[in-house]
Amino acid sequence: MPIDKNMKILIVDDFSTMRRIIKNLLRDLGFTNTAEADDGATALPMLQSGGFDFLITDWNMPGMQGIDLLKAVRADDNLKTLPVLMVTAEAKREQIVEAAQCGVNGYIVKPFTAQTLEEKIGKIFERIG
Amino acid sequence: MSTEQQENWRDAVLVQARELVALLEQGDDVGAQVLLEQMRGGKDSDLFTEVGKLTRQLHEALLGFQLDTRITNLAAQDMPDARDRLKYVITMTEEAANRTMDGLEKCMPMVDGLNRSVVDFRDQMQRLFRREMQPGEFRKLCDDLVAHFNKTESQLDEMHAILNDITLAQGFQDLTGQVIRRVISLVTEVETSLVELIKMFGTMNEYSEAKEKGKETTKGVEGPIIDAEKRQDVVHGQDDVDALLSSLGF
Repeated sequence: MPIDKNMKILIVDDFSTMRRIIKNLLRDLGFTNTAEADDGATALPMLQSGGFDFLITDWNMPGMQGIDLLKAVRADDNLKTLPVLMVTAEAKREQIVEAAQCGVNGYIVKPFTAQTLEEKIGKIFERIG
Repeated sequence: MSTEQQENWRDAVLVQARELVALLEQGDDVGAQVLLEQMRGGKDSDLFTEVGKLTRQLHEALLGFQLDTRITNLAAQDMPDARDRLKYVITMTEEAANRTMDGLEKCMPMVDGLNRSVVDFRDQMQRLFRREMQPGEFRKLCDDLVAHFNKTESQLDEMHAILNDITLAQGFQDLTGQVIRRVISLVTEVETSLVELIKMFGTMNEYSEAKEKGKETTKGVEGPIIDAEKRQDVVHGQDDVDALLSSLGF
């Protein structure tokens, strides 16, 4: 099944330039239906209000961190199946293991390439589709 | 105590001791007690002299350390200044990134548009070569081509200006580099002052041990890893991440 290019994607990162980079890369891949939040605490109510098909989040953010957002999403009955891709500079093995145990669907370390982003999104939706 | 001082001290004590024995043999208990008090008092006064010396040395050392000038300035002026400088770096890099992306976002649709018209014109030219084109269509193609050349020329001029602006936006590297270099020299100065403080009030052994022990790995979030090649607990790029995840069944 091809990926729905109209799916609604939430991009969560505390740096507006990184959100912009991801948004532009997604647009280049044909995904134009995006929204942004600058940390987990802002993102969670947006997700809970519904309509999102995919979450791309950073880890290290002031307020609520990405890993806690992931845990909150997995603990929420309405959101627990939402695919989550982590795009972060956090590169310790124990952190990647932790994210995997918390139910992340993909993990990209910064700095990353457009090709990596495309490949990981493809893989996530191939697996769940 | 020098040898001479020691001999003097020994002689003095001997004299006093002989006197004490004499007093006790005479049965002069009161006299003996007074003498004992004197002897003990003498020792106390030596102790006080030594403590006094140490206090003076400490006082001089503190003055020599100039705690009131350099450290005070570091805390009052230089540290807040360094903080402001680092904030400036964040602002400058953010502005440069946005300026670059502004330019790219303007260029992208122009590039895509030009690409589309080139594909369109190539298709029409192929129809022309296959003699599938009506005279009316051919005339329109010529007009469209002239319009396309005019539009392309002005868009290429615009893109050239944007690319120049993107080049200029990279000037942030020079400016932030200078600012960061100043902050590094300040950090070095703070380090020197802290080492002085440790010499004065702590132990240099602990300092050397801490230095040799190496950096403790931080728990939790750390941000970008700057010394990945020296570390075993971090991944080295996306391939490592993928390998780790696949070993976990991903």
